[in-house]
Amino acid sequence: MARIRFQSVTKRYANGATAVAGLDLDIADQEFLVLLGPSGCGKSTTLNMIAGLEEISEGVLLFDDQIVNNVPAHKRDVAMVFQSYALYPHMTVFENIAFGLRMRRVGEADLRMRVMQAADKLEITHLLERRPSQLSGGQRQRVALGRAMVREPAVFLMDEPLSNLDASLRISMRAQIRHLHTQMRSTFVYVTHDQAEALTLADRIVVMKDGTIQQIGTPDEIYESPTNVFVASFLGSPTINLLEGALERENGAACFKRGTLTIPLPALQGGARNIVLGLRPEDVGTPGDGPQLHGVVDTAMPSGADQFLGVLVDDAMLFLRVGKDVRVRAGEAISFGLNPERLHVFDRETGRSLRGAA
Amino acid sequence: MAIRAVSHDERSAFGLLAGLVAVLMAVTAFPILYSLWISLFAVNLRRPLRMPFVGLDNYIAVLSSPAFWESAGRTALFSAMAVAAVLVIATLVAVLLDQEFPGRRVLSACLLIPWAIPSVANGLMWKWIYDANYGALNGLLLQLGFINSAMIWLGDANRTLPLIANAFIWKEVPLAAILLLVTLKSIPSDLYAAAAVDGAPAFRRFVAITLPALRPGFLLVALYEAMMAIRHFDLFFLLTEGGPGGASDVVAWRIYVETFRNLSFGTGAAMSYILALATLLMSYALIRSMAEKL
Repeated sequence: MARIRFQSVTKRYANGATAVAGLDLDIADQEFLVLLGPSGCGKSTTLNMIAGLEEISEGVLLFDDQIVNNVPAHKRDVAMVFQSYALYPHMTVFENIAFGLRMRRVGEADLRMRVMQAADKLEITHLLERRPSQLSGGQRQRVALGRAMVREPAVFLMDEPLSNLDASLRISMRAQIRHLHTQMRSTFVYVTHDQAEALTLADRIVVMKDGTIQQIGTPDEIYESPTNVFVASFLGSPTINLLEGALERENGAACFKRGTLTIPLPALQGGARNIVLGLRPEDVGTPGDGPQLHGVVDTAMPSGADQFLGVLVDDAMLFLRVGKDVRVRAGEAISFGLNPERLHVFDRETGRSLRGAA
Repeated sequence: MAIRAVSHDERSAFGLLAGLVAVLMAVTAFPILYSLWISLFAVNLRRPLRMPFVGLDNYIAVLSSPAFWESAGRTALFSAMAVAAVLVIATLVAVLLDQEFPGRRVLSACLLIPWAIPSVANGLMWKWIYDANYGALNGLLLQLGFINSAMIWLGDANRTLPLIANAFIWKEVPLAAILLLVTLKSIPSDLYAAAAVDGAPAFRRFVAITLPALRPGFLLVALYEAMMAIRHFDLFFLLTEGGPGGASDVVAWRIYVETFRNLSFGTGAAMSYILALATLLMSYALIRSMAEKL
């Protein structure tokens, strides 16, 4: 069991590049934390620092209340699943899974039992005598999970473990990993660049960019109340629509202005300024009492359960998700109802959200 | 069956290759076949016109001579020492050069110098180093106080083979180290990270990951070095001429003596063929075991 704390941790490489800058992060015991961000954002470096595979240049890393900055990887109670799986090529599956236990001098009978149990859970018992080169990608992935599982570590680290699998397998493995977390009762730290994976798996998500934390929160918080434009556009598929315009006040009430477009934004404080309005594709409804959006359909793309429309509003192209029952053709006019509560408003200069909480 | 016409391109290709093939036949295939031919005759340059066919008598004479088997034993001992030492030292050098440290590139380049030195120059250099009167080895050991008086290094029958092997190893280690280094570089760094996280300290990581990954490299180096050592002649010729008292009389040296000093070309050729055959069998066995384990 372990609580992990970063206190102003910085990682600088020999060539002067800073991978992580002034990181403050408190990971609760048994939490499932996902580090999310584009490549080069410092998420893997952060994970490697927990594992002890990268030295910490500045700051303090604590497991529970122990400073572990100088504890080498092999002395930390940590297991890790690598993106490449990193299975030992000349060992059988059994020996791969048993390796960590052998290093910790677990007795042969106990070792055998634990390996068999893990293999059983992962349904790889029939593969135990094979070599990694004889396995498919999905099977290798399971072996890598098994190797980490048998250790029953205090901290379980995963570095993009699903990114080399095909789409359908990836979805089913997500469920398995979530299940593993509830069984193992260890602290999980999971690195990914896939926002859908992060939203499915995490108790909390840490969104990172350029070595700094952009936002920490539950998947709902991150998705519903992004603190800046980067977070808003990194999560969600298709991505959020962003409209640049101005915040103006008419008779004391705030509204968004862009060309012919005017959208009232009640409850928004602050004076006039340039803003960016964020509209999630799914946040449109049938025209009702509230504010409305009028546009011309440019493209209609059915996608199974629902359909995506490219709609030209003013001079901006918006991607919107509507039900299948909405029957429109390209070139037709269309109107939507908007819920002002669900509109995201960002300062155009700083990119920060202008909503109260943030 | 229709006979396909030879195209113009093919004809010019034959033409262009013919010269090369002719040269190769003259300098490679002809001597090989000619030596096989004369190994079946009693050829003695002191009586060049009398050259009776003796069948396999030359081979029988060689194989039934106790002196030949003593030479074969020395060849095996020399090869075993040389190959084992080259493997161990080359592994250490390769692991060292696989680390990141300032001056690694310069050191890698310097490492190749012994390999680039011609064999005879290497032999003469070691002849000087081992020299009893003004050799560097005596100088060094005397100054460090390890010995009290100059030693006649190559005059000691017990030391001759190891000392010659040492000169051989010095020249052979660079290539072996480079071959092993290439194998080392191909090991994914994730494997070391995984083993570290799994709780393996540095030495266990070396045993569990580096050594098994190096096995193909070891087999390749062992094969190549064994072939070089079994047939090695230059150092024996330059340093000891088989002495003292036959202590360094290996098969390769014996072939030279038989052929060019005794002028008995028939038995010399037969001995060459026996050595070639033995090398071939050893290589075949090694390659077989390599193929099984890869």
